[in-house]
Amino acid sequence: MKFIDTTRDPWHTITGEDGPMVTLTPAPQSLLTHTQWSGVRNHWPSGMPVGVLFPNDADIEELADDLPRLSLIVLHFPKWVDGRAYSQARLLRSRYRFSGQVRATGEVLVDMLPLLKRTGFDAVVMRADQSIDAAERALRFFPGHYQGDVKERPLFARSTGNEYPDAESFNQAGSSI
Amino acid sequence: MYQYTPFDTQFVKQRAAQFRDQLERNLAGKLGDDEFRALRLQNGWYIQRHAPMARIAVPYGELSATQLRMLARIAREFDRGYAHFTTRQNCQYNWIPLPRAADVMDLLASVSMHGIQTSGNCIRNITSDCFAGVAADEIVDPRPYCEILRQWSTLHPEFAFLPRKFKIAVSGAHEDRAAIAWHDIGLQLLKNDKGEVGFKVLVGGGMGRTPVIGTVIDEFLPWQNILVFIEAIVRVYNRYGRRDNMYKARIKILVKAEGQRFIDDVAKEYKNILERDLDGSAHIVTQAELDRVAAHFRLPDGVAPIANGKLQVPADAPASFTRWTERNVHAHQIAGYRAVTLSLKRTGQAPGDATDTQMELAADLADKFSAGELRVSHDQNLVLPWVKESDLFALWEAARAASFATPNIGLLTDMIACPGGDFCALANARSIPIAADITERFDDIDELYDIGDIDLHISGCINSCGHHHSGHIGILGVDKDGSEWYQVTLGGLDGSAISGHASTAGKVIGPSFAADEVADVIEAVLDTYREQRTAASERFIDTVKRIGLDPFKAAANAQRRSTAQTA
Repeated sequence: MKFIDTTRDPWHTITGEDGPMVTLTPAPQSLLTHTQWSGVRNHWPSGMPVGVLFPNDADIEELADDLPRLSLIVLHFPKWVDGRAYSQARLLRSRYRFSGQVRATGEVLVDMLPLLKRTGFDAVVMRADQSIDAAERALRFFPGHYQGDVKERPLFARSTGNEYPDAESFNQAGSSI
Repeated sequence: MYQYTPFDTQFVKQRAAQFRDQLERNLAGKLGDDEFRALRLQNGWYIQRHAPMARIAVPYGELSATQLRMLARIAREFDRGYAHFTTRQNCQYNWIPLPRAADVMDLLASVSMHGIQTSGNCIRNITSDCFAGVAADEIVDPRPYCEILRQWSTLHPEFAFLPRKFKIAVSGAHEDRAAIAWHDIGLQLLKNDKGEVGFKVLVGGGMGRTPVIGTVIDEFLPWQNILVFIEAIVRVYNRYGRRDNMYKARIKILVKAEGQRFIDDVAKEYKNILERDLDGSAHIVTQAELDRVAAHFRLPDGVAPIANGKLQVPADAPASFTRWTERNVHAHQIAGYRAVTLSLKRTGQAPGDATDTQMELAADLADKFSAGELRVSHDQNLVLPWVKESDLFALWEAARAASFATPNIGLLTDMIACPGGDFCALANARSIPIAADITERFDDIDELYDIGDIDLHISGCINSCGHHHSGHIGILGVDKDGSEWYQVTLGGLDGSAISGHASTAGKVIGPSFAADEVADVIEAVLDTYREQRTAASERFIDTVKRIGLDPFKAAANAQRRSTAQTA
């Protein structure tokens, strides 16, 4: 999991005085709103890295045709208990095989990290008051789960001998915290 | 019953460790109360009227004597010496201080228990028939499927923050004893002509402000595909369920609003998972996995059909024993065995409550008479599932000594009631005093017998934890101008055999009654039934269906005193 420091992030939004600009000049590592992207997608130069900020109440299917051209998709948590973006990430990875970065923004908290990782996010912009140490600890509590996710098969479907993490390391994962 | 694997054991221990970490961060001021709230809820910790309420999961109602002893110990050492069993087969405490919560979770983990997803907007503890695996009318034992569902839903990463809570109930018998049509997803196990096992799947049932009966979304889904199908349902709900208004956020509202489009969306999502997703068939349950889990639910050691295991009734057995065998003893699928209900409905204790001593006695009875196993029933009683017929008399004597032998199962005083305003911060009115009034009013067992089979359900608020909508008589606590009032409904059906295998919400019989009128109203309604029934064999609910609400309304209205002006 990549913890994004927004002050050093090479990706930049294109914002004017009145909010996101509608007409814009393609530049590498632009991070566009979904509306901006819809306006420029037909003439965005091929090979120029572009990312899209996608709202959590729109259908992720709308991006399906553009995915090979996108390097980054930023999914939004307007409130941390609004879990729609987990489904969006899961679909991006498992259904559309999106291999670029899937980043969480908004109200992103320490205790969401295990869920984010398992649904396919590989980068987060945590809320300013959150601790990266605590987030990394939160990722270590459960070395194994029952159901499958974007990386693991369900426990029951794993190959013989690989069903369970051994008890020792499972225990250690917690006690070392 | 299910025995934890090393993985399961480590998993609940890690869950307890994770909870301790969150609790400590909260107590240290590093995790805000608002943020901790959603985390503690998913471990069963509410903040209630007096202290946090802890809800402990009893998956599909199956409990060992060892586990029950731990629940008793926690009641004694951390609470005020009692616990409450709920309609969702869980166990609740009301007086445990939050700083001690992590110690309770550690103790629970030591006996393979936890509070995972007993609250919060996630997939809740799976409920089932309290006679699963022993019922004489069973088609398929639901327990292995319940356990597979329990595992799949536990800490599901995508479905931890749904629009609202999500409840699944599973029945495998002809009679629905789990009220499946009243759940977000109701599953009925069936066998087709070829003997293959599948699920009839209902979706969008629920109580609350808008009572809705679930819609059948699949008549026969092969069992192997149940996880994939439920994933499709819950994903559609997670994406499209309303989040702007918590009273409209349950899946029932989405199903009602979208109708056929919801069903089509689920069908499309299901197909997409299987046909398009990377490893989309990974959650098709294999025969090997079903066999592995089902092996946990073999007959307990020492249980085998008994050819001549006739019920031994001593010639001088008292009438109360005979009544107990009629009401509290249930048919069994193994010859020579019966299931026995330990009634948690008796004068002086709230429905579903048990003291630490009573829980320990129940655990002793389970060890002595029921292979060390118990069940929690949807009707808030305990059940001993493996009792030899030849042991019934000895069990009755022991149960009577522990005040578990009230022969009232299925009768008026075997009522469902939520903890209500005495404990619950959500309640508008108290349930327990109303339940106590009615229990005292109808303390004559002959009269209870004469009234016969009836479901009385009491909720302290519209959240409907006491299932008032599905009671033949339902009582709902409401708040008007800061005082407690009670709305009475008639004709609700929970899906059970005496409800005619149907489910429906009861109808309100008029403006709310004052607390001190309720017992009179119930008596008047029951007197009307006894006057109007065609024969003693016509049940209350059948008389209501036959003659309609008006005669009952008139009798109830005649009881108004404090509400006379508003009537």
